[in-house]
Amino acid sequence: MTSRAAGIVLVLALLALWEGSVRFGLVHSANWPAFSTVLGALYQNVMDGALLTVIGSSMWRMLCGYALGSIVGVSVGLAIALYRPVRLALEPTIELLRPVPITALVPALIFVFGLDDRLKIVCVAVATFFPVVVNTVSGAATVDPIYLQVTRTFGIPRSMAIRRVVLPAALPFILAGLRTSLAIALVVTVIAEMLAGQQGIGYYLVSMQYALRAPEMYAAIILLTMVAYTLNRLFLMWESRLIRWARTRELEA
Amino acid sequence: MITLIPGALFLFAVLGVVEVASRTGIVNGAVIPPPSMVAMIFLQIVTSGAFVAPLLQTLELLFAGYLTGCGLALLCGILMGSFRPVYNLFEPLTELLRPIPKPALLPALILFLGLGSTMKVTVVALAAFFPVLINTIQGTRSVDVTMIDTARTFGYGKAQILWRIVLPAAAPYYLAGMRVSLAIGLVVIVMAEMLTSNGGVGATLIDMQHEFKVRQTYGWLAVLALTGFSLNALFTWIERRLTFWSAS
Repeated sequence: MTSRAAGIVLVLALLALWEGSVRFGLVHSANWPAFSTVLGALYQNVMDGALLTVIGSSMWRMLCGYALGSIVGVSVGLAIALYRPVRLALEPTIELLRPVPITALVPALIFVFGLDDRLKIVCVAVATFFPVVVNTVSGAATVDPIYLQVTRTFGIPRSMAIRRVVLPAALPFILAGLRTSLAIALVVTVIAEMLAGQQGIGYYLVSMQYALRAPEMYAAIILLTMVAYTLNRLFLMWESRLIRWARTRELEA
Repeated sequence: MITLIPGALFLFAVLGVVEVASRTGIVNGAVIPPPSMVAMIFLQIVTSGAFVAPLLQTLELLFAGYLTGCGLALLCGILMGSFRPVYNLFEPLTELLRPIPKPALLPALILFLGLGSTMKVTVVALAAFFPVLINTIQGTRSVDVTMIDTARTFGYGKAQILWRIVLPAAAPYYLAGMRVSLAIGLVVIVMAEMLTSNGGVGATLIDMQHEFKVRQTYGWLAVLALTGFSLNALFTWIERRLTFWSAS
């Protein structure tokens, strides 16, 4: 902990510099409010519920899209890994579509899904899908073929073999994909909200910029960063509980 | 090559279904145009040369930001990965800044830097910086100490160790970070162009959407899709050439 002391002092020093630059009149700009002013705006907007409603609606859309993209991603990934015809049919299309920047899809998707919830959920689902599907495929590929042969020898039904053998073996990879996608899902929610419609934290950010209300704008960025950090932490905790066996096996090996 | 045939058939089958559905009105042809029409528009955009100016602007700003971000991240990452005190000093700051969703910074950057190229290059550089930084720190640390000690025994200086030992050994890590950043950079430059509407493929795309030119929107989407695909393919090629000795 002491080794980080210098780093923490640096962070505090930078924040003090930010505060001081305004307090002592080094910077005169409506775009550059003091750190304390931003914290005040954050506190006030969270307390009166305005910012919480906004971030809550964003989180809801994000989770809908994330769940949709994850479920489809894992299912398609397993199908690709287990059935060769599916792999041959789908893999080229997935490789073709994967590098398409998600922002470019937004205008076209607006025509189909409108400006509101459905658009954002679809954008998030699409962005979530690719890391999950790719990781699921490589995870399922690590399953020792002997395990599958054993299940066949004992006449275990295929669906059960998938649930009890393939899924657990692929789980660490699937979870890695899900964690990558979680960070992407939040960013894409904000992107879609900034580009279309009038809802959520993304729209809030843009409208605060138009209204030249810089403290509220920075407050929203800080809140978003805290949400991103918390989501990642929670996922890491959940992940390490789920795959504790994977690590113990690694240690034994 | 043979194995690509089922994939191509699948793709054409999907496009065929959309084509029929759109032409017969099963889906609304006004919002989901037949793929053949989009292909025609795409060909028009390509053959008329309409794509050249916007695409060049997008790529120019993308590369300016990307190279700046990667360069700074490699420099900081190698320093943080090689010297423990430097790492300790900057690690908390990195942890604080890394989770900021970079597109959320666009409104703030617009207030400070306006709607021009500086703002776009800056946001791309910021977005590209962190994935490369994290990978560079990790890669630099992963270099086998024995190799460095051996080099020192043979009288290599610090600069030589960096150039001949550390950089080649850690290159796969550096490149992995740079690959992620390139994809992120493209997302962010298109986003910035859409918000500012002053040139670039992103701006063209959002203009087409605002004017409800559905086919053009899809046509320009195809331009960006192809750009993303080509950039990725190009990067993979460069990566293979630079790390030809690393089997994975």
